Amino acid sequence: MRRWALGAAAAGLLAWPWVAPRYLIFLASLVLVNAVVAIGLNLLSGYTNQLSFGHAGFLAIGAYAAALLTIHAPTVPVIVTLAAAGAVTAAVGLGFGVPCLRLGGLYLSMATLAFGFVVSEVILSLDGLTLGADGLRVPAGRLAGFTLATDTARYYLTAAVAAALVAAAVNLTRSRVGRAFLAIRESEVAAQASGVSLAAYKTAAFGVSAFYTGVAGGLFAFVVGFLSPDAFDVFLSVDFVVMIILGGLGSVPGSIAGAAVVTVLHDWLAAFQNFRPLIFGAILIACMLFMPGGMAHALRPPGRR
Amino acid sequence: MSAAAVVHVVVSGLATGSIYALMALALVIIYNATRTLNFAQGEMLMVSTFVAWAAQRAWQLPLPVTLLVAAAAGAGVALVFERAIIRRSIAATHWDVLIITVGLSLMLRAAAGLIWTHEDFAFPSFFGNRPMVVGPIRLAPVSLGIIGGSLLLMLGLYVLFTHTRIGRAMRAVAQNQRAARLMGISVERMYSLSWVLAGVVGAIAGVLVAPVTFLSTKMGLVVINGFTAAVIGGFGSMPGAVAGGMLLGVIENLAPLYLPSGIRYSVPFLVLIAILLIRPAGLFGRVEQRKV
Repeated sequence: MRRWALGAAAAGLLAWPWVAPRYLIFLASLVLVNAVVAIGLNLLSGYTNQLSFGHAGFLAIGAYAAALLTIHAPTVPVIVTLAAAGAVTAAVGLGFGVPCLRLGGLYLSMATLAFGFVVSEVILSLDGLTLGADGLRVPAGRLAGFTLATDTARYYLTAAVAAALVAAAVNLTRSRVGRAFLAIRESEVAAQASGVSLAAYKTAAFGVSAFYTGVAGGLFAFVVGFLSPDAFDVFLSVDFVVMIILGGLGSVPGSIAGAAVVTVLHDWLAAFQNFRPLIFGAILIACMLFMPGGMAHALRPPGRR
Repeated sequence: MSAAAVVHVVVSGLATGSIYALMALALVIIYNATRTLNFAQGEMLMVSTFVAWAAQRAWQLPLPVTLLVAAAAGAGVALVFERAIIRRSIAATHWDVLIITVGLSLMLRAAAGLIWTHEDFAFPSFFGNRPMVVGPIRLAPVSLGIIGGSLLLMLGLYVLFTHTRIGRAMRAVAQNQRAARLMGISVERMYSLSWVLAGVVGAIAGVLVAPVTFLSTKMGLVVINGFTAAVIGGFGSMPGAVAGGMLLGVIENLAPLYLPSGIRYSVPFLVLIAILLIRPAGLFGRVEQRKV
């Protein structure tokens, strides 16, 4: 059953560019990018209960790192660029996560919100490097002699990276580390009493989450092709939080589903520019009132809740 | 930089800070009663100010009546939200309620944009434009007016919370809900009341600040500075909210004088991160006891 579902998903992912119109290929890439961010955020918020309102900042760091690397070293293979973007973002995440160990709940959320603002501001003020508010055009990435210049090529890159990261996340959550994360979420005191080092695992969660978001940022840079600081505002961070809450905290498939629903919804409602937040807000409230726990919880058979 | 100019900047900083303080107070009032964070507070302020402005233009109301209209609108919006939506989710976790208020803020902002467009409008002011000159110091009457008005409102809140039955009941609910209920206090009524009170405080802050910042749907973003102020002061503490707001306002206005303009808007957040690193529960907050 599981194997069939996985096979069908893989076949669907591979066949998509042949059956879908060009715009939907782009949209699918965007869904996959957001799914990677949502998984990264969920590893932090859903698994260790540290809600972050600053992931647009991590995404921006990854995106700008990948873009700048591609501009200044065009021959570097795209996979290396993405790994570098992830590594840079993870380093920033660890640097930010260590002092944040002292903060709990609300205070941590505020600090991450502040982090997001600071990142936009830094991008604006480093305009010699990032071109500030004018925005940065991202050249196509290169892989094994090919230039990834079409929507289809970028889609396959995104799909391959996203699939690898999803598999890694699923494995991580089933490992000793994943169980330690969950123990921290359920009760910090009980986890500590059972020998889980709070400081080590919470920092690790920050690093892994930032790595995922940084890689997603690199993919975002290639898929969208143009970066400007106002694309990474606080509302994007809120969107990411909505994705994981809608999908289900502490669930990898839920993160993917939440990312897909939010991304497609944003796109559908684009024609109703002025009504979009109104409808989006109403859907959000309805989901919270009638489907708390998110889609992952609502779809699970009753016995396994 | 002359001393007189610094005084001028500090006073306008205190004026900005008063608005942040009122915003922080509104957030803390709701948080203390219901343990939820109202992300829509800024949009509630924006909508009530817009309603007052529309009423003022339609009927040529005098300003004090406009203020009353704003307060009534703030109370009405808050009451409707609390009764229609928040109360239904009483069993939900704090994060769920936070997300609901995020949804509310999106809806309010969009609705205000549809009704009044997303442009800037001038808002009539209680205070004149002629600077007041005291020796070498020039002060804007608007700044003094905002500070004075906010201090009056804070005094009113202080009296309400310390010297009235209702205020004591609200504090009791904030301290221990079960005990409050056993003493015959209707906890649900206090929930509604705290939302209404926060709505009124926000609306008054909106009318005070609108002549300076202009009236627009973007006004609601002040909620983020309100959060920052409340967290700096220690979330849940009312004196902390006031101190945090004033501190934030003054630092925000002083920083551009001494620092490169590139990091101007990050200053409040850098201050926030710095203060949280030294005192993780804010200036006036108490570290919560962990219970197993």
